[in-house]
Amino acid sequence: MQLMQIRAYWRQVRLLLVILTSYLLGGCAPVILVSTEFPRPLVEPLPIRMGVLLDEELLTYEYEERIPQQATYIIQIGNANASMMNQLFQPMFAAVEPVNELPLTEIDSSRIDGVLNPELDRYEFDVPIGQSDEFVEVWMQYLLRLYEPNGELITEWPVSGYGKAELMRTADRTNAIGRATVLAMREVGAVIATRFAEQPEVEYWLQER
Amino acid sequence: MWPYYSKKCLSTIRTMAPRTYLLALISLGVLCGCSSTSRIEPYKQTDAVLGEDERIVILPRRHHASHEAEESFVDCVSDGLARGDEGLGVHISTAFEDRLYPWFEPSTAPLSIDDFSELMKNPNIHEQVRLSKVRFIVWLDGSTDRIASGGAISCAASPYGAGCMGLAWWEDDARYDATVWDVLNLSSAGTIYADYNGRSAMPALVIPIPLVVRPQALACRGLTEQLKQFLTTPDGYEPGPELSAN
Repeated sequence: MQLMQIRAYWRQVRLLLVILTSYLLGGCAPVILVSTEFPRPLVEPLPIRMGVLLDEELLTYEYEERIPQQATYIIQIGNANASMMNQLFQPMFAAVEPVNELPLTEIDSSRIDGVLNPELDRYEFDVPIGQSDEFVEVWMQYLLRLYEPNGELITEWPVSGYGKAELMRTADRTNAIGRATVLAMREVGAVIATRFAEQPEVEYWLQER
Repeated sequence: MWPYYSKKCLSTIRTMAPRTYLLALISLGVLCGCSSTSRIEPYKQTDAVLGEDERIVILPRRHHASHEAEESFVDCVSDGLARGDEGLGVHISTAFEDRLYPWFEPSTAPLSIDDFSELMKNPNIHEQVRLSKVRFIVWLDGSTDRIASGGAISCAASPYGAGCMGLAWWEDDARYDATVWDVLNLSSAGTIYADYNGRSAMPALVIPIPLVVRPQALACRGLTEQLKQFLTTPDGYEPGPELSAN
């Protein structure tokens, strides 16, 4: 009889624990604000006056994903996008100007040779579920579009980056996602800074200037 | 060999009295479980040593995602080299990567000394390296991986108490290469290969007792000592394998 009572009591405790865990996991959505200072690339500037069009979507980019058995992660990348693009393009060209729309006005067209419009196309991340995994991985793909001042598309270049960060502690997941995202963005920046002029359409466009 | 040995050990001790069982489990853990082996192979090609006002920088090889050196390992070696009265001048890795961005990112970092020599032809890069006072770049490659594990521990709880029973074991292998480049002479100064293997065990009789060997920490210590010697000893640095087991 006593054993039956203990079993019934244990079942109630188990149910309570399950409800409490579900409530905590469902209610906690870690918000990760990716924020860092990106370095200026050490590259020779191209003799081009470039306009840069940063869309609202890029500047407020937010990624949300629910990971089973963990939580819903919200990753805010908008600020980091703005910081990276500003640092990246300035040293790459002889002159850089922000622009608000395409096609450019006649006055702007006389000063600007082309317009770059980056877009964060895809963001994926992987956090370990088991105890044996020790790394958080992030994969990102940007689309870098180059336009003529009249709005004609010259090329669309997909650039991807990968970042991996070690989990120092089990509770370190949010920090590690932020660190891996920054590494992936740096990788994207490195590819753009070193290989932009080598893209066949860009190369042809540069020769025509 | 090891799982068979483990099963045999367990079947023998199951027939013993509880006190003997406890002693047997602990002894088994100590004798059969915890062990480590190490192997260090240094090879120095030049007599170059670190000058008084010169620095080194430790950088992880990250062009292959599957087995890049862990951040914690890079920090451990960097801190170990800088620590103490005879600590060396160590440039912070991230600051060096920032200073030379984007030329030391995974997709752009030089993979050979020839690539690096080519990179140094760029006057801006050359100037930044000169300003950093870095004389040697040490590339760390490798990782620590779990190569085997076995055994089992069962835990149970009741209103009258809780406890665990069994034996679990695991084996980790830490393999790292340190490749040293001489920035001044634009040449390879040599390499150090470190392989540390550690077998840990956790016997449990009511309470699990972890008997852990950390090969990554041992590899960090071993590699740091070798690097210190490598970078400060012009002659008399004996290349050759060092083997030990305990």
